Amino acid sequence: MVTYLWLKEIRAQVYTWKGTLWLVITSLLFSFTSYLLLTDKELSLLDQTELLWLLSKVIISVAFLIVAIDSSSIINSEFEKETAESLFLSPISIKDFVFGKLLASLTLWFAIFMVATPYIVVTSLGTHLALPFLGYVLFLGTVGISGTVILFFGVSFLYRSAKNTLTTSLIVLLAFSVPALFSSALKNNGLAQMFGRINPLENIFACLDNVLVDYRLSLSENWRYLWPLFIFCVAAFVFLIFSLNKFQKQGVVKSV
Amino acid sequence: MYKHNLYHNWVKILIYIAVIVLLLDINGFNVQSQQHTQSNPLVLEILSADKLSGTAGDYVNVKAQIKNTSQQPITDVTTYLSLVDTQNKLPVDLEDWSAEKGLYIGTIEPDQILPLNWKIHFVKAGTYSLIVVAIRAGSEIPQVSGTISFHVNPKHNLNPGQVLPVALGMPIMLILIFSIVFYKRQTKMRF
Repeated sequence: MVTYLWLKEIRAQVYTWKGTLWLVITSLLFSFTSYLLLTDKELSLLDQTELLWLLSKVIISVAFLIVAIDSSSIINSEFEKETAESLFLSPISIKDFVFGKLLASLTLWFAIFMVATPYIVVTSLGTHLALPFLGYVLFLGTVGISGTVILFFGVSFLYRSAKNTLTTSLIVLLAFSVPALFSSALKNNGLAQMFGRINPLENIFACLDNVLVDYRLSLSENWRYLWPLFIFCVAAFVFLIFSLNKFQKQGVVKSV
Repeated sequence: MYKHNLYHNWVKILIYIAVIVLLLDINGFNVQSQQHTQSNPLVLEILSADKLSGTAGDYVNVKAQIKNTSQQPITDVTTYLSLVDTQNKLPVDLEDWSAEKGLYIGTIEPDQILPLNWKIHFVKAGTYSLIVVAIRAGSEIPQVSGTISFHVNPKHNLNPGQVLPVALGMPIMLILIFSIVFYKRQTKMRF
């Protein structure tokens, strides 16, 4: 049943050219970024590893944005198209439903990663960092995006409105991204440091910086960035369980 | 006869005056140069002059030395680099070049030679002049080394042979794959 739900979502995604155009635009964005990073006169003065780090941030940011938008609507579309009621009348458990949708959202991330792979390889040439770059982007992206998708699924079950869930998701994503714009002085502030410790996006960027710029490749050397990511996933999962319990108590048709 | 003696005396007086002025002048010159030597007993020299050229992005070591030529120990000396972009006629902010700040010397003994090392990051292509400056407490005149000129070559990461096929090929490949998939689907639907 999980496979059925997953394939149903993927088929719906690739059924029309409109559903796949975003992947072409993503590849154009990666093309533009990697070409710019490697050829721009001013940027070319930077160390190549710093360019890899910039590219990794672009890949992760694009993936978070696309998956956030998708996960905000993938569950709510069932409520808004009024297909949820018939779906839950079929022999399908809520766990299978959520897991199928989670796989569908993660497939988008894997599609983005597949498109990003040639760019990662070509920009890493000469640095011996291609494999760590690929491995860490895949690992960190999968963990971070899984947590984010689970969090937005929780919001979806609470709101049952694609518009409201999307607005909330984008604001949460913006909140995760804003510290990247802070200056070093602001980042040293106690509150900013505390937020940085729990912010999944910042932990991913810091970990990639540690790997690509500082050559600290082992998992043990990056553990301080990994455990907050796992805690974020667990917290998101707990929130999803809470939302699901509330949803199951209220039923498909939410009582006002 | 009287006129002749008077003329002779005047010539003598003028010669004496000239000799005195000359002696005073020589003495004064010696005093001045002695004062100058005493005010700047530090001698600076850049040792890595021939190794300074490179490409933007390179890290190079500037090696220099400072010598106390006086017979007295000298205290409280600060040495630093000064860099000028000779093409644009501008001083360069060494903070951008990741250069360490001034090197402080507490005491330098008579005839002692101390090494000075700075690591700098070539940031921008161009032609530059570098000097090492030493300032000691209580001295109004800084001591400088000789000027060293060097050239930084531009760094070109431009590798169209590597990035361009991917940058152009990937979107084209995706468009082709999706076009074939949709074309096949539409053809299937027609029949």
